[in-house]
Amino acid sequence: MQTEQVVEKVSTTVTIDDEIEAQRARAGLFQLAGRCLEEEVDSELLMLLRGDLRLPLAEAGFNLDADFYSVPETELLETLAVEYTGLFVAPGGLSPYASVFETGAMYREACDRAVAAYRKAGWDYKHLLSGEFPDHIGTMLSFVGVLANAEADALEKGDHQAAQQWAEQRIQFLLKEIGSWAPSWCQRAAAAALHPFYQNILALTEQLLWTELAASADRRQLRELAQLNRREPRKLDYDADFRKASGL
Amino acid sequence: MSTKGINYISRRDFMKLGLAAGGAAGALTLGSKRLRAMEQDLGGTDYSSMTGAEREAIPFTCLACNIEDGGVAYVENGRVVKLEGNMDHPNTRGKLCAKGNAGFLHVYDPDRIMTPLVRTGARGEGKWKRISYDEATTLLATKLKEVIDRAEAEHDPGIRNEIVFKWGRDRTGGAVQRFMHTLGSNAMLNHTNVCESSKKVGLEPSWGPDIESCDWANTKYIINFGSNILETAYFMNPNAQRLVDGVVGNKAKLVSFDVRMSNTSGFADEAFYPFPGSDGAIALAMAHVIMNEGLYDEDFIRDWTNVTSKQLIDHLKPYTPEYAEQESGMSARDIRRIAREFATTKPATTFSYRGPCKHVYGSYQEAAIHMLNVITGNVEKKGGYCLPRGMGWPQPEPVPHGPATPSPIATPPLYPLASHHVSTNAPYMIMKGEAKVSVWMTYYDNPVYTYPSSHVWESFLKDEKQVPFLVSFSPYMSETTELSDLIIPDVTYLERHDPESMPGGLYPCLSIRQPVIKPLGGTQEFRQTLIDTIHKLDQDGSMGMRKYFAFNTVEDWMRAHFDNIPGLKEEGGYNFLKKKGVWPIYGKVDPETAKIVDRNNNEVEPDYELYKSELSSGDMQGADVGNHGTIRKGDHSIGVRVDGKNYVGFGTPSRKIELYKDSYKKYGFNPLPVYKPLPSRSKKDSELVLTTYKVNVHTQSRTASVKYLAELYHKNPAWINPKTASARGINDGDLIRVTSKLGYLVTRAHVTEGIHPEVVAISTACGHSAYGRLAQLKQREAAAEWAQGGDPDVSHNVWWNDKGVHPNPIIQLAIDPIGGSQGWYDTVVTVAKAEAGDKYGDVKVSVEQSLKDYEETLRYAYTGDIHRSNHKEVDVDWDNLPKPELHGSSH
Repeated sequence: MQTEQVVEKVSTTVTIDDEIEAQRARAGLFQLAGRCLEEEVDSELLMLLRGDLRLPLAEAGFNLDADFYSVPETELLETLAVEYTGLFVAPGGLSPYASVFETGAMYREACDRAVAAYRKAGWDYKHLLSGEFPDHIGTMLSFVGVLANAEADALEKGDHQAAQQWAEQRIQFLLKEIGSWAPSWCQRAAAAALHPFYQNILALTEQLLWTELAASADRRQLRELAQLNRREPRKLDYDADFRKASGL
Repeated sequence: MSTKGINYISRRDFMKLGLAAGGAAGALTLGSKRLRAMEQDLGGTDYSSMTGAEREAIPFTCLACNIEDGGVAYVENGRVVKLEGNMDHPNTRGKLCAKGNAGFLHVYDPDRIMTPLVRTGARGEGKWKRISYDEATTLLATKLKEVIDRAEAEHDPGIRNEIVFKWGRDRTGGAVQRFMHTLGSNAMLNHTNVCESSKKVGLEPSWGPDIESCDWANTKYIINFGSNILETAYFMNPNAQRLVDGVVGNKAKLVSFDVRMSNTSGFADEAFYPFPGSDGAIALAMAHVIMNEGLYDEDFIRDWTNVTSKQLIDHLKPYTPEYAEQESGMSARDIRRIAREFATTKPATTFSYRGPCKHVYGSYQEAAIHMLNVITGNVEKKGGYCLPRGMGWPQPEPVPHGPATPSPIATPPLYPLASHHVSTNAPYMIMKGEAKVSVWMTYYDNPVYTYPSSHVWESFLKDEKQVPFLVSFSPYMSETTELSDLIIPDVTYLERHDPESMPGGLYPCLSIRQPVIKPLGGTQEFRQTLIDTIHKLDQDGSMGMRKYFAFNTVEDWMRAHFDNIPGLKEEGGYNFLKKKGVWPIYGKVDPETAKIVDRNNNEVEPDYELYKSELSSGDMQGADVGNHGTIRKGDHSIGVRVDGKNYVGFGTPSRKIELYKDSYKKYGFNPLPVYKPLPSRSKKDSELVLTTYKVNVHTQSRTASVKYLAELYHKNPAWINPKTASARGINDGDLIRVTSKLGYLVTRAHVTEGIHPEVVAISTACGHSAYGRLAQLKQREAAAEWAQGGDPDVSHNVWWNDKGVHPNPIIQLAIDPIGGSQGWYDTVVTVAKAEAGDKYGDVKVSVEQSLKDYEETLRYAYTGDIHRSNHKEVDVDWDNLPKPELHGSSH
């Protein structure tokens, strides 16, 4: 009896530690993806990518050529900034906002929902550069990381109720605000990216999202999310050249 | 069974009774008298369809196009959800056009530029890096300072004119001029010569202002020369409303001249299709009839013009209706009849816009049309041809003085009468070395798309030797902006401040443009960008610039405009305008008649005969009265004495209407209105004249990316007459080649009776190569499929795949030597079925040929050989015309 209790206790301890570790890892991944997508790479991030994260990224399948690690920092930062601007900032690129994906317009209800979620968790949003909104994919991914960290913190304090609440918030945010569009957005963005860094980080983020969604959603939900993510531009089913020109 | 005396009613019986009640003759009396459809109300309030809560209503002044209608924005949760007309605006009376209603889409368009961008690749390559507004204004200030420092070092203030500011639409109420004068540059270029500058130069020397404001609602007879009043013309919304008031409500007759069956011509009692550019011949022939048949107003001509009736009869001798028939194709009989009807139906008015004036010699045509109103005494009469009524506002003190050194591109020496610039010529002059550019700023402007021979602008602006630094303030990636080195995006017109006063009707008023929401996502309005740039340029005030931009906030700037205007000040100044959007409030719109009425429901009549305002004894103190009655005070004429009374008169040196223009004669132009046949008149039979036209749901360039509008109109096939098409084997919808001297384009034919047989017409607003996904239909290009931003509305609901073909590349540069207007409707083309290998949208044009056009059009300028041979009748010392010189600092 006593033995069993000890075993159970040890087992519980191990599970919580694992869970804390899992949440920290989750937070790290989401915050990495979020930071890479929320704004241009800066010197600090580049140092991390070229240094501590080089091996883990390579092991995760990041396929960056030697240039990424050898060209002068200023030159690479400039190249990445131009790529980032072309992809996510300048007109004609891929708008990184949930509002645009959902409605075709900036600053719609998705912004309000994102801010409400941030505030519920005790966070607020303030843009740093013009033209930034709370429903930016980078910010939203980072927020998942924030929630995962909060869950880990609560677990560390032994506050299982709080941890449970953080987990619920994270899963709800992931399912309701991110799951229906972000994975396919990543796929399209990866296809559009010219620089291997963005191709890789976007592919990694897509995988991360599907993995997380699979862990958080039931089969029916997952099917629905997959369906939503498969939204593709509708092709015209007629030859417009044949349309009568005078049909004004 | 019965209950309370009523038999059991089956469902069938209920249906029967219900249908009988609903279908009865008096059924409209049934139901509540208290429930009203929200949309039937006249505006001013709106409710959320989701919550029922009243939406915040904020007045603004529209800038979807240039008409500046009064609007109200409804805001819900910090977002603009709906726009409608401001019921307090006396001229637009609570109505916005389609462009205005769709205007809020500009704000949330994902193709909007939301952050400053600096070019990183080759010019036009599309490689950018985002920077902050702070960094962007620092960069601009640095570039400007380099020029100013060089000017100082070389003691040459003219170098400052290398700072060029070109705008298409400047509604800043003086901010741009303040900025440029602060920098010490006169190199300001507007877009007016691709718009109506020759109309202005046809009118201003005659009676002062640049356009007429017809009293449509009270008139009985209207002749429309080449204007699409109901759809697109100047002051379209207010004019269209009042035209309908006049034609429907007042039973006025409308006669319309256009080469194309516009909706205005379709609405007219009589529509005629004269040969392009022959309106002047028709107007002069009508004047000929009126003068020779004694149908003119002798008193008005004698008292209020600088000519005599005899002088006019002599001058008009050659312009017989038969001559006009020969030139225009309109029968002499109709010309006589309409002239008589016009002269004998009182009151009457003409209206004209781009049809007559956008030709070489367009100024003469406008002057000829204007003269019809003068000789019939319809000027400033109720129901007549009235002066425009606007209001001014003061500029904040201190005001920078205009620099002393003129800019050759702003005031080209060969066009001394063109008081509204000749901006089309700027790149040609610069390429010829007649002027130099260091920094070129472009604002609300897209010449790479909107100008004639637009490929010349592309070539010019791409050339870093010609334009070393190109800055755009556009919030959209237009064909011009994509060539920029630096983009500092302005906000949209719903997010910024401007003072306004447009003479869109007979009630003069001031209005305000104010942010109805905060600038989206932390973007910055242009006015703030100007303040920041000057503050960075002159950080400690030692350069003497900072004092002109000593505004803590943009609101301070606006208060300086509005807080001290007599009358408005007493009502609250800026705060009143913020609340109401417009001042003064003349009354309310009567829901039945749509007239402006007072509290007693009596119509508030506009003032008429403004020129007969009498000068006060104070005004007359120290004044002299000259031989012709002109009252002068110092160097200025302040009025005119007629029949012993001292009137303010018209805005001319003599204070009378100057049908005879000394200013024209000085440069060898005919001082009286004449008609000069254009080269297009002697084209070969196989050739056609290419005309363009605007459409009712688009501006020239800025609206092609607006969803609602793009869906309504997105392709522009070439209108061609069935006879013309048949002679060329062209069927409706066929691919055709339209070829000018510059090259060709491939488009489709729209075969229609609604076009002159010698004309082919292609609308503007289509065929963009930039300006966003909808304008370019990018999502139809496989390679760019990703670039849809995931917008389901664009992805799923864009059912069209034809963006049209832009005609401007094949349109030749041709400048009116008087008013400086581009002759948009003077290009001669051939039209044939497309050739093997031709694809829809192909455009091939030559820059070299356009450069030759520039040289050719200079031959019409007052120093040119064609000018002299075309004006043999003018009694002037041809060998001693004024030498070309920089004539004034700026217009």
